[in-house]
Amino acid sequence: MDSITLKTLLPRVFAREEMPFSQVWRSELSFHRGGRYLVESASGGGKSSLAAFLIGSRNDYEGSIWFDDRDARTLSIAEWQDIRRSHIAYLPQELSVFPELSAIDNIRLKMDLTGDVDMPRVEGWLRRLGMESRLDYPAGRLSIGQQQRVALVRSLCQPFDFILLDEPVSHLDEENNRIAARIVEEEAERRGAGIIVFSVGNPLLIENPVKLTL
Amino acid sequence: MGLIGKLLKKNTSPARIIGFAVSNFIGILIVAGALMFYLDSKDIWDDDEGFVHTDYLVINKKVTSANTLEGDGASRFSAPEIEDLRRQPWVRRVGEFSSSDFRVYASVSQGGRGMETALFFEAVPGSFVDVPSSDWHFSEGDEEVPVIIPKDYLTLYNFGFAGSAGLPQLSEQLIGGIPLQLYMRSYDGNRSLNMRGRIVGFSSRLNTVLVPESFMRYADSRLGDGRGSLPSRLIVDVSSPGDVAITEYLKARSWEMAGDKSGSSAAFLLRLVVGIVLAVGALITLLSVFVLMLSISLLMEKNRLVIHRLLMLGAPLRDVAAPYCRMIIFGSIAAWVMALVSLFIVRGFYIAALEGLGAAPAGLLWAVVTGTVLTVAVVAVNILAVRRKVKTAWGMKMSK
Repeated sequence: MDSITLKTLLPRVFAREEMPFSQVWRSELSFHRGGRYLVESASGGGKSSLAAFLIGSRNDYEGSIWFDDRDARTLSIAEWQDIRRSHIAYLPQELSVFPELSAIDNIRLKMDLTGDVDMPRVEGWLRRLGMESRLDYPAGRLSIGQQQRVALVRSLCQPFDFILLDEPVSHLDEENNRIAARIVEEEAERRGAGIIVFSVGNPLLIENPVKLTL
Repeated sequence: MGLIGKLLKKNTSPARIIGFAVSNFIGILIVAGALMFYLDSKDIWDDDEGFVHTDYLVINKKVTSANTLEGDGASRFSAPEIEDLRRQPWVRRVGEFSSSDFRVYASVSQGGRGMETALFFEAVPGSFVDVPSSDWHFSEGDEEVPVIIPKDYLTLYNFGFAGSAGLPQLSEQLIGGIPLQLYMRSYDGNRSLNMRGRIVGFSSRLNTVLVPESFMRYADSRLGDGRGSLPSRLIVDVSSPGDVAITEYLKARSWEMAGDKSGSSAAFLLRLVVGIVLAVGALITLLSVFVLMLSISLLMEKNRLVIHRLLMLGAPLRDVAAPYCRMIIFGSIAAWVMALVSLFIVRGFYIAALEGLGAAPAGLLWAVVTGTVLTVAVVAVNILAVRRKVKTAWGMKMSK
């Protein structure tokens, strides 16, 4: 997948509202492989809706989304599952870690599913993020900041052409933010992938992103 | 896969799965058990001797003193009577007994000793006689006629006559090998016919000496004097021998059903009871399917968030369905194995008694086939339900 194109996209709930200025909604916009994008919005701007549209968990929108020249509405369930496993990595705002599994098992589950990244690489990321201890704790007993780091590492454990990060560092300090940004950049570069970060004010500190206002 | 399974089995209630397995086991045991017992014991009830189907009734008019005075015309069936019988809803076919229009003598000679008796012949349409056509045919020029004689004749000979006359008792197999010499003569004594007879079987349902219809026509044309006569007995193929309408119809006309019909009524009752038991078993099986469906559905509902998150990670639908499918398959197979073992045990209790009654047990095959089909159906229905539920979860809007 080389590009994701939005054509006059608009969440259906916004259809009857007066919209403030937006570079994303109701316009034509493409995200390209290898690019870095920072989509900023005020709360309620539809940031999580856009992420949900792109990952296929919602389709209550007007306009269209194109993966290369394929209309996202025409994808089958199996095709969506393949996109989620192999083309678009996703870190949701709510993290979606499994609280009953240990931190490391949360990551291992994803590794089993995609068979992509090896354990030494994962351990390297966790060490850099200061997460080498407490990996055997149930994820539910970790702090939100720790869960965020586990979820970030988990989202990297797959092949991807784009990585969607929804508020990935909302609970991290600036140092950890920079480390997380480096890891994401390294991994995206290694794969030639595009990075799309969503933020309401504490963005992931990637270098020279194309800034878009939602 | 291990971790996915661990997550998806959260909230599993072993009690519910066991509840399903037990009710499914009971349902299948009842269905397969009833079928097994029915097939094993069918022999005894059906009294199906092979020559005449149990759904065939032989009817005749009651012989009263009036008949004796009026001559035998009163005991014969007239054409309108036969026509009326044919129109009854429980009648499939009606066949007429035709009787010989000549005198018959039969003799058996064995080791120098002979025995002779006056006899008579009757014939019914060939389609009513369940003997392989190679055994039951006669064409002009044949030297041998196949004959079916009443079992009572043999009993009478073996236990009555043979003992008092110092003759050996004969088994059915043995007598089939003894040639029967038949002398047939016209009433005026001018024409005669000698043939060999071969006993192909003994019937307890047809109280007559039966020869093929083709032989009857041939012999009548050679020896008869051409006065056609109305039949005094009819053979009727009925849809359900236990039907009360039949009894009432016969009673209203003072007609009689020949032979013992209690066998077929008992068979009919047995079929009815087995039918009811099968229905109850099927109902229990059906309920067990719902128990399983509800339990799995409830479990998946409780694990809805886990399922949703797994699907968001890109887990294939079949991987998400797999742990539930395994539960279903495991529970169903456990139930089927328990039922199978129970069938063996139950069969052990009655089989000796049945064999003592002279039944040739049919074996477990159909019970096993039925149980397997039921189990496969239960599994298939539930797996389809799980798949549908996973698909529904895939389509779930983000709840947050």
